[in-house]
Amino acid sequence: MEKEYLIKLEKVNELRLEDAERENVLAFFEKRAEDLASLEEVETSNITRMVHVMPITAGIREDVAIKKFERDDLQKGAPETTDGYWQVPRLVE
Amino acid sequence: MKTFINKTDSKLTNLVAFDDMILTTELPTTAGSKMLDGYVSLFEAEVVNKLKKAGYNLAGKVNVGEFNVDLMGETSYFGAVTDESGNLVGAISEVMKDTDIVATIAVDVNGAQRRAVMATDLVYLKPTYGTVSRFGIIPTACSGESVCVIARNASDLEKILNVIAGHDDKDGTSIDDSRMNSEKASAKAIEKVAFLKDMFAISEKDACEAKKALESVGVATADIDSGVLSKAGSAWNILMSAELTNNVSRYDGVKFGYRSSNYTNIDELYTNSRTEAFGELLKTAILYGSEVLSTNNYDKMYDKSLRVRRVISEAMDSIFAEYDAIALPVASKKVFTAKDVADNAYLAYEESRFTAISTIVGLPTIVKCGYQIIGRAFAENALLDLLRKIEKEGA
Amino acid sequence: MTKYETVIGLEVHVELATKSKIFCSCSAEFGAEQNESVCPACCGMPGMLPIVNKKVVELGMTAGMMLNCDINRVTTFDKKNYYYPDLPTSYQTTQLFAPICVNGTVEITTSKGTKNVRIKQIHMEEDAGKLVHDDWTDTSLVDFNRTSVPLCEIVSQPDLSSAEEVVAYLERLRSLLRFAKVSDCRMEQGSMRCDVNLSIRPEGSDKLGVRTEIKNMNSISAITRAIEYEVARHIDALETGSEELVQETRRWDDIKGKSYAMRNKETAGDYRYFPDPNIMPIVIDDEWYDSVKKTLPEFPEVKKARYVDKLGLTEYDADQLTRSRALCDCFESASATCGMPKEVANWLISDVMKMLNKKSMTFDMLSLDGNKLGQLIKLVEDGKVSRANAKKILSIMFDEDINPEEYAEKNGYIVSNDTDQIASIISAVVAGDPKAVADYKSGKEKAIMSLFGKCMRELKGNCDPQVLKELLIDIVNKA
Repeated sequence: MEKEYLIKLEKVNELRLEDAERENVLAFFEKRAEDLASLEEVETSNITRMVHVMPITAGIREDVAIKKFERDDLQKGAPETTDGYWQVPRLVE
Repeated sequence: MKTFINKTDSKLTNLVAFDDMILTTELPTTAGSKMLDGYVSLFEAEVVNKLKKAGYNLAGKVNVGEFNVDLMGETSYFGAVTDESGNLVGAISEVMKDTDIVATIAVDVNGAQRRAVMATDLVYLKPTYGTVSRFGIIPTACSGESVCVIARNASDLEKILNVIAGHDDKDGTSIDDSRMNSEKASAKAIEKVAFLKDMFAISEKDACEAKKALESVGVATADIDSGVLSKAGSAWNILMSAELTNNVSRYDGVKFGYRSSNYTNIDELYTNSRTEAFGELLKTAILYGSEVLSTNNYDKMYDKSLRVRRVISEAMDSIFAEYDAIALPVASKKVFTAKDVADNAYLAYEESRFTAISTIVGLPTIVKCGYQIIGRAFAENALLDLLRKIEKEGA
Repeated sequence: MTKYETVIGLEVHVELATKSKIFCSCSAEFGAEQNESVCPACCGMPGMLPIVNKKVVELGMTAGMMLNCDINRVTTFDKKNYYYPDLPTSYQTTQLFAPICVNGTVEITTSKGTKNVRIKQIHMEEDAGKLVHDDWTDTSLVDFNRTSVPLCEIVSQPDLSSAEEVVAYLERLRSLLRFAKVSDCRMEQGSMRCDVNLSIRPEGSDKLGVRTEIKNMNSISAITRAIEYEVARHIDALETGSEELVQETRRWDDIKGKSYAMRNKETAGDYRYFPDPNIMPIVIDDEWYDSVKKTLPEFPEVKKARYVDKLGLTEYDADQLTRSRALCDCFESASATCGMPKEVANWLISDVMKMLNKKSMTFDMLSLDGNKLGQLIKLVEDGKVSRANAKKILSIMFDEDINPEEYAEKNGYIVSNDTDQIASIISAVVAGDPKAVADYKSGKEKAIMSLFGKCMRELKGNCDPQVLKELLIDIVNKA
């Protein structure tokens, strides 16, 4: 993996690394390539993926609306709010 | 260096501690991250709720590595816990030392708790996935992470398990009670244990002690090759990182938690908040998790790992056709030092080869004296019976 | 000059008509104060787990059945990742690998005849929140009330070739989904909106041109203008090379009448989808499937034909009623109660629809109990309540849950059969107006009408007009 690619990946994830950190991360990615090589040894072409470890079906709920939380409580720990809204720098479309 | 991030009134009795991944309303929950420093949840985890109802009191919140993906808590924003000689000790084992805390309830994502107890007298139980509600757990890697219990003996583990196990409508992956009860009732006692000899070969821990202990209580042992089980760490590293990337993307400085003071637009707000608040291992894990999910890599990395998970699960089934449990060491070393993680910040991604075997398929696991014993799904009581027998023999 | 043809595929989002959100129990109703319908899950806080709303799955199935889709009996949810302030968890839970419905068709009618538009898939997903831009403080304000409100996204194949077809397709979807009560499909409230994927190519070519996507259209007329603009822009680009067409996402500015490229992060591209570990597969067994199938309404045109053929309505009346499921439901239950479908249709079209218009309500907002409307019509037809008084009662029934007969009795609206009482009132009126009596007797037949009106007022309308007329003439002649 190239540094330029890593920088793109940082952007996608809203992160920005120092150059020294990048070296570590690139080394980490190289190590993970070994993981991948070890997985490639496993024959999986006729295997279905296993997303959930327990073969159960979804628990679903009835369509009932319940109000359990107050806005003021939900915004207590907010960095910035105004008039019941969370506030962020203006977005340009 | 902190063992408790926050504590309650010390005069209380019947105490249980929770690791700082489990949401409580009376104390903050930080996930060991600057991002959530001081964050107080508006609702309580189901396990907290259940234990309180059963008469237990909250001792406090135990320090954890950032989002619980590290080796032994060394990535906590509040500092790693080490002893005088520079050995890493889990905050959990420190908290349990010389107190009357009955148990610590934690979330096992990548084995940190198993490593935290391996050099202590404490015992550990991770119940079958889906038997204990994950409602109110700060999520990291939902498909395999599990509430686990750390206590001094089998009977305390069992006492706590009986309180926290059970169906919860608020967790869509929770198994219903009738199924759980009938599966548990039909669980077989543990009479034959398979030792993964190649896993012992790469560990400082040898199999002798454990074999002796098991044989002293009449359990037969045999060596087997771990086969595809040795791939569990690699597959779990991929699945865990991807799920982690997704789960921690909610922490962006907008709604709650840390916000950088240095921004002029939304992108800077996001990037600076996350960059300033997250530690190096977490950032690395996020980037890796994002990479394995990218369109170019999804099939060969993420989907591949999901398929390998199935292959591992089937391999487990065939082992369990012959044996009642699987034994292996918790880690490659008996003790990890601060220097170990300073030299290699990513050790947890290597050590996962030992712990991911039961995590990736959600099987019940006990740990004693640095050994793990993995049982069939719903066999936690059989595992506890075995543990009790070993305790009785004084082995 | 080259002739071009237009290739359009639509992604239509409709908000599902549920009381609560898709994964949590917060209210999904429109119009709450900002951030009043939210919980920790809706504002991205950790620890809550998604529990699927059963009604969402049922409405998803219903939509698929109405659009002739195959229903996936095992359907799963996936996560789609991107950062945007209206998306509190920075992921949207949606369906990629096993959407609830696949392979449908919708028949549309335009000036060129009828045509089938193929549906690729319908998937369930959660809506995002809303951003309000504040120019004063140069900030954006975030409201999570709409976060996790359930949506269905209906994805068509690129089978549409003109704005007219697009409009016909949207109207048809709206009619079918409203009829099945899947969604109220109100574009002005955003409960129906669409993304238009458009490209052009020389007529007869089998190669697709460069595709642009116009996002978030929520008015039929704006869609028409946007399509016409885009087609012209594409042709101009190809013919004159005025610009290079690129595959991109654009937004339509209806005031300026122009589309422009979007530059925000939503368009970043790689969403890194993966299956949601917290939502187990939803299995639709035969029992569940059949129970939903049973609730499906007749298609509007089937209903219309039945109203004309079996119930004897005029084409016009049937057409009017089948504009709304609520009207149809009311009509059918009222007709069943009173057995007079033509009368019911008259009442609905001449009175009820007018009342709705007066109150600026849509026909779908009608909540009148059809059974009670039937009872009221029966009272009129049986001569127990006069038509004029019945209209008064009807307007009360609009707002209050009343029993028409009880209400008529309590408020003196029951037609009197007591001829002695009627005769005494007539005698009093006749005695008080000797001039009218004289006029009538002298041959001015119209004079009787003013007497008739006075009597009816005295009787508060509660008299069979025929009975009153006969008695009145009798008494006047004797006077």
